Amino acid sequence: MIERYNIVNNRYLLKDLGVLKHHLAKYYSVVQIQKDADGEKLWTEQFGDKIEPLFGHNHLPLTSPKGFLFAEKEVLYKFDGETFKTILPQVQPKVMFGVQACDLSAIAYQDKFFEHDPYYQKRRENILLVGIDCESPCVTGFCVQVDAGPHVKDNTADLVLSRLNVDDANGSSEWLVIAATEKGINSIKGMTLDKADNKHLKLRTKLLEKVRSEFVDYSYISNAIEYLNNNSVPAQLWEELSVRCLGCSGCTNLCPTCSCYTTYDVVEQQPEKPVSISREVKLEVTKSETIRCWDSCLFEGFQKEASGHNPSQKAAQRVERFWFHKFSDEYLPEFQRYGCVGCGRCEQTCPGTIGVHSVMKRIDQQCCS
Amino acid sequence: MSQTQVNSICPFCGVGCGIALVASDNNITAVQPLSKHPISQGKLCAKGWNTPFGINHHDRLTQPLMKVDGEFRVVSWKHALSHIAENLKQFICESGPQSVGLISSARATNEDNYAAQKFARAVLKTNNIDHCARICHSPTVAGLKKTLGSGAMTNSIDDVGKADVILVIGADPTENHAIIGGKIMKAKLRGAKLIVVDPRQTRLAKVADLHLQLNIGTNIALLNGLLNIIFAHGWQNDEFIARRCEGADALKAHVADYTVEKVSVITGVDGADLVKAAKLYSQANAAFLAYGMGITQFVSGTNNVIAVSNLALICGQIGREGTGINPLRGQNNVQGACDMGCLPNVYPDYQSANDEQVRSKFSRAWQTEVARLPGLTSLGMSHQARHGNFRGLLIFGEDPVVTDPDRNKVAQGLRAMDLLVVIELSMTETAKMADIVLPAASFAEKRGTFTNCERRVQLIHKAVSPPGEAKIDWQILSELAKEMGFPELMNWQTSEQVFDEMCKLTDSFSGMSYPRLKQNNGLQWPCNNEYPDGSRCLHSTTFPIGKGKLIPVYHVLTDEVPDAEYPYWFTTMRLHFHYGCGSMTRQSPLLERETPIGLLFIHPQDALDLGLKNHQGVTVSSRRGCVETRIEFSNQVSPGLLSMPYHFKEAPSNFLTNDAMDPITEMPELKVCAVNIIPLPENQPPRSSVLSDAGSRVSQ
Repeated sequence: MIERYNIVNNRYLLKDLGVLKHHLAKYYSVVQIQKDADGEKLWTEQFGDKIEPLFGHNHLPLTSPKGFLFAEKEVLYKFDGETFKTILPQVQPKVMFGVQACDLSAIAYQDKFFEHDPYYQKRRENILLVGIDCESPCVTGFCVQVDAGPHVKDNTADLVLSRLNVDDANGSSEWLVIAATEKGINSIKGMTLDKADNKHLKLRTKLLEKVRSEFVDYSYISNAIEYLNNNSVPAQLWEELSVRCLGCSGCTNLCPTCSCYTTYDVVEQQPEKPVSISREVKLEVTKSETIRCWDSCLFEGFQKEASGHNPSQKAAQRVERFWFHKFSDEYLPEFQRYGCVGCGRCEQTCPGTIGVHSVMKRIDQQCCS
Repeated sequence: MSQTQVNSICPFCGVGCGIALVASDNNITAVQPLSKHPISQGKLCAKGWNTPFGINHHDRLTQPLMKVDGEFRVVSWKHALSHIAENLKQFICESGPQSVGLISSARATNEDNYAAQKFARAVLKTNNIDHCARICHSPTVAGLKKTLGSGAMTNSIDDVGKADVILVIGADPTENHAIIGGKIMKAKLRGAKLIVVDPRQTRLAKVADLHLQLNIGTNIALLNGLLNIIFAHGWQNDEFIARRCEGADALKAHVADYTVEKVSVITGVDGADLVKAAKLYSQANAAFLAYGMGITQFVSGTNNVIAVSNLALICGQIGREGTGINPLRGQNNVQGACDMGCLPNVYPDYQSANDEQVRSKFSRAWQTEVARLPGLTSLGMSHQARHGNFRGLLIFGEDPVVTDPDRNKVAQGLRAMDLLVVIELSMTETAKMADIVLPAASFAEKRGTFTNCERRVQLIHKAVSPPGEAKIDWQILSELAKEMGFPELMNWQTSEQVFDEMCKLTDSFSGMSYPRLKQNNGLQWPCNNEYPDGSRCLHSTTFPIGKGKLIPVYHVLTDEVPDAEYPYWFTTMRLHFHYGCGSMTRQSPLLERETPIGLLFIHPQDALDLGLKNHQGVTVSSRRGCVETRIEFSNQVSPGLLSMPYHFKEAPSNFLTNDAMDPITEMPELKVCAVNIIPLPENQPPRSSVLSDAGSRVSQ
């Protein structure tokens, strides 16, 4: 878990982010957003540092960095025929350089969900989070509506980077660097940095207000959240929406807060020849691995019981449950925030056009009429 | 443990969505959708998302194997290839080049397929080269060849978004071509009118403006009925007909017989709905027509396709953006395998193998003699083998013992050969029968190109290394050519060299290169001097045969209709979660879990009449065989119609289906037959089919 310190004098100024990255690269393997030839943005791990880091709103990758903490597929334990052995991931220290506010809010959410999960925690302990303030709204993002951005939220990153101004003449920028945790402070030990003062913090707040004002009107989302929590969404609407759910699992795979998983066994079949040991006859043992992989609550089989009984047999029930998990007030005591961080990835990936904007708009239209 | 991402193309259906393969430790651990991909735009279906489970390293072949005394022994590549070469040379010397051949794969790259047909024609000197398209959309190819001169999808996938009417006949795209299905649903939200013609209430039918739930097997009656309504109201596009079509008068006279009343009786569709559909389609500014195996898999398959073509031509809904006749194809590279000339009668780009000029063109380019005699189809090779006239066969990535009709005859044919070589990822049923098995690289382990159903040639890249000594198909053929005494003929170093050679010898691909494919996110053929940036839409000014042919076709009954003994209609279908015979998708624990308890879908009213409970075991029987399974209540089917997915070997639907054939293409009538159901005692579970691997006939 993040050590959540907030010390007053841990704010610095920096002209060249490359200096910080080079410093961190001495101690950490760097994970950052890169753009391929088609313009596709992906979180990738690289050991050289030739490629310039990409930051902020223009560069939110379709795939969140969730998989670096909660692996798509991993072996949990192995059975060698006699004993079970836990297989914890082999990890080395990583810095995730330039994580946007929405994804940081999601990681903080996952930290709570996986608090007692040794596999997640093993990876998490070895990751340094360097957040970055977004400088304008992104295409489908509505982080302001769900309190997840556009600037990095408190207690979600070890280091926070915020661009204060750009010198157009030579393209250089001035960055505010906030070390928000003990881990963050330690990570920049040995660097020579100028101290920032209150006027720099005020400038950051001012810029935040400016970015917030640039978001278009997403009041339908706030309205729909209210309708959802009033239970005033008609069953018929869930039926209509659910016909469009193909069960592809794209929304839950891309959602940075979705955490459902399943486990399955891969059994290594041994030839069934009896082996004689003294006077006992014993079958040769079978070895197996138990693997965990991401699951989706939109699959019909997700809650199907062995008897065939299924408490969420109908697609409408599953679609309703998904949105309930993202926006219900019931989860606030446990997570102190909604399960949606406003990244809008589900809108982009849903083949059936029932991502967050489409659904919330329909709810708002239907419920207010 | 470092993680890498490599862009590729989804290996399942013919839509061709973009995926990034995430690899770590030479294993594919995950896939990511690509937001910049021109078709998928960040979307994938459940099959695509589950790709990593299908690339299974446990069962992979890693070394060449040779059968000695009935058992496979590991041998070196050198030994295996020289053994194959010696045998092939001997067969050709003793029995002529007609005694040897190749079967290529609709799952392999264009480069692999180009190499396969070149090896056949230039090394073996035979036209005996074929692949599975024969039992796919063959009625489409035959039907559209007659009416237009070309059998490919005429328009582009994103034309769905430009249409104001979308007509879907006998296709279930949200389940089988999900990203196209999604685009259709999105178009409907935007305000396009959606008409679905299907005996089942598919997902699209539920959201459609108009669902014509016709009696199964009555497509031609319905389409002729629509034409008659259109002519009667003067809704036809006279200008287009005059300029681009011939045979309109005869067609008009022919369909006059198909009155609304008569068609309504035959099809079971309300007359008013027929008129609405005819008006919507014919009066649209742009109407996009898509169809699938609900058109092709009938004894009237080719005529069904012609009836579809008649409708589009009469209304002038072709040759413009947002229109077209758009068959939805099943496999990732079935289009490419055809384009590359892995068919006995055509060289790459459909250049006729019977044309002396074409033969001498390739002979000059390859600097060697090429095959002269007409070639055999895969069924033909098997047939000749049973008669002792065919001796040596190389099969790439196909499992005809499992997937072709009539398992016994195919197996007999393979057994009768002197040499069977199978190039495969794993030990399939066909590979088990081989004399030599060679380990092949999968799509994630090589560079190359796939061509999707909208004719878009797209690059795939290597994400992981092939296991053990496995090699790429074209590399294997290149080395075998050297063993056969052709050191220079196929001496490629990279897949790009194979592609460049192919482009030089064709017109439709002459404007393509790897850098251009990369730059443009794929290019759609024809891509040549005339269309340097490829072709989104075919037939905009003329058809390959000049004027479009309007050909009158008659409604015929399906081969079987229900009677006292077999009182129910039976049809086959696919589920969103599975592909083909399930060999890849059923390895995913998530998708496997989605399998319904009952595999026979029945209307609750029918079940009530028979006193059946949901999920009760039943025996389903037809004149050809029977399977035991459980029933699943479903409102998708109407009373009297039962439906079964064909992915599950425990209950192989093809034990029941009819092998009566379309006389023109030999396409079996897989879509419809008559069955009976008998309940099993209430607590008796159904038995998994004993000959479970025998009958699953997969057609795309």
